Amino acid sequence: MSETDTVTLESTSLDVPWNVVVHDDPVNLMDYVTLVFVKVFGYSQVRATKLMMEVHQAGRSVVWTGARERAELYTQQLQGFQLKTSMEKSGD
Amino acid sequence: MKAAPTLDGRIRIDIESKLDWMIMQAIPHDAHAAGVDLADRLGDALDDDDSVSDWEEFVLPELRQSFSSQLECIEKVLESLDEDAPEPIFIVKDEAEIWYGGLNQARLALEDRYHFDGDDPEVMTPGKRTAWFRAQFYQTLQSLLLEFLMRD
Repeated sequence: MSETDTVTLESTSLDVPWNVVVHDDPVNLMDYVTLVFVKVFGYSQVRATKLMMEVHQAGRSVVWTGARERAELYTQQLQGFQLKTSMEKSGD
Repeated sequence: MKAAPTLDGRIRIDIESKLDWMIMQAIPHDAHAAGVDLADRLGDALDDDDSVSDWEEFVLPELRQSFSSQLECIEKVLESLDEDAPEPIFIVKDEAEIWYGGLNQARLALEDRYHFDGDDPEVMTPGKRTAWFRAQFYQTLQSLLLEFLMRD
């Protein structure tokens, strides 16, 4: 593989968006989870409630997608609010 | 025990008996019990090796510190009370997240230990039933904090 090809692949890899995923748990109150989504992401009440319901009903929800560094920051913030949160490459 | 919002925007908790006192003292005790590391558990869902390594090095210590300070604040308030004639506890808006987080830690630890799973308290063992009642009380306090202090 030529050097040029390699550089192109690395660049593509860095651009892969990351998902921030919140997982369901038996303790966190639904209203609290909604409140945290509003606080952390600035989402509207309607959007935050929809994502909360997805966590509750599907067991997980992708609550944000974007650059890795920002995803790490959001993950840390959500965990600080005691929500079980992980990151995954978008499309995995 | 009485817990209610006040006109000046605080939550007031009145400890009226020895049992009430024991339940309030149980908040940090429950959170510490069973050796559950809440901060560590929050990273369970991370599965990428690099992410886990960075998370353990940079995030985990901060989470531990944050959760520990919530419990220290609650313990400090309880230690300041006279056990024989406790004054009411007032929780202000700025302290609501600290109390909410401490109560959450206690509930997470109880759930982790007893796995209530919607069980009927009538058929629980005595130890599990008292733990369930504490968890219900903690949840009620959390709901009050959420409804009256934490929403903008």
